[in-house]
Amino acid sequence: MRTFLVRAIPIFALALFVLVMLSNSFLKGPITKDDDIKESIEKVIDNVKEGQWEEADRNTDSLSKAWKKVAHRMQFSAEKNEIEDFTTCIARLRGAIQMQDKSNAIIELYEAYEHWVDIGK
Amino acid sequence: MHEGLVVFVRAIIAFFSLLIFARILGKEQISQLTFFDYVLGITIGSIAATLTTDLTSRAWSHWVGLITWAALGLLMEYMCMKSRYVAKCLEGEPTIVIMNGKIMENALKKMEFRVSDVLVLLRSKDIFDISEVDFAIIEPNGQLSVLKKPEYENVKAKDLNIQKPASGISSEIIYDGILIEENLRQLKKDKAWLMDQLKKKGISSVSEVFLATLNKGGSLYIDKYDDHIQKPLDVGDFKGPY
Repeated sequence: MRTFLVRAIPIFALALFVLVMLSNSFLKGPITKDDDIKESIEKVIDNVKEGQWEEADRNTDSLSKAWKKVAHRMQFSAEKNEIEDFTTCIARLRGAIQMQDKSNAIIELYEAYEHWVDIGK
Repeated sequence: MHEGLVVFVRAIIAFFSLLIFARILGKEQISQLTFFDYVLGITIGSIAATLTTDLTSRAWSHWVGLITWAALGLLMEYMCMKSRYVAKCLEGEPTIVIMNGKIMENALKKMEFRVSDVLVLLRSKDIFDISEVDFAIIEPNGQLSVLKKPEYENVKAKDLNIQKPASGISSEIIYDGILIEENLRQLKKDKAWLMDQLKKKGISSVSEVFLATLNKGGSLYIDKYDDHIQKPLDVGDFKGPY
């Protein structure tokens, strides 16, 4: 029993560490209804392309909420820079939507999408 | 992102990973480490430190680096164990620097050792006169092994034809006021014998004893909690904070 524990505890510990470090693949989601980042970005892209600025603003809010949720659970397995860059993209997107600046909004959305793909990769 | 929390979790991962790898790798004593083992240890430690605090990249990439270095270290150890030739290539081999009392200048030059380095190592072996040395060998871990000339060797009991009883290794029979009965049994003694011995020293209970050891030759060492020393000897040469 003692020999078993001496071997099992380190193996279990290492397996747990690997699980925590690679948890981004399943924590990236979507896990609940309102944390689908990819879908949220696509929705805002459609809104911006069609000039639906009020709808785009509302969807940016839900994207921001979803991002806060996902970033919180992904922080142990993702890079700090990617998380911060995504957050900055959302802030810039808000500004572009407020000013109804289509080209800047689209640039920020595609950059956010790229960060989303790269996070935890 | 809670940076403090992330660093805390990463520190746990790095600490225990390092502990596990060190237990797997670290069979050798620190004094037996070769230069490469030393570098390996520093590198693995450095990767673990980066894993903990460098949040700009994922913990996973650092951890892969950590496990790769540890695995390569283990592979080297295994190869050295299996092949004497590989061991010689990777760990080096002992070099004779003093032979028949003569300094091997070429060997020293090859190893980039100065004579003064050899003298330092000799002094650390309590040899202050190089003429006492017959053979001196620099081991792969950088330590010096010395064989003195026969006339400078210490006199052994065998040289004087004296019979000495084997003293054996002493075992703790009381540690921190607690009797270790298993050790007492191994030395074929019982509690009654021990109490008798303690009584002879004016001790009535095991709890009064801080440490008691006994060897196979029957030599008993007893140290009490109460040492009756009013003022311990101060070996410091100047006043410090304590």
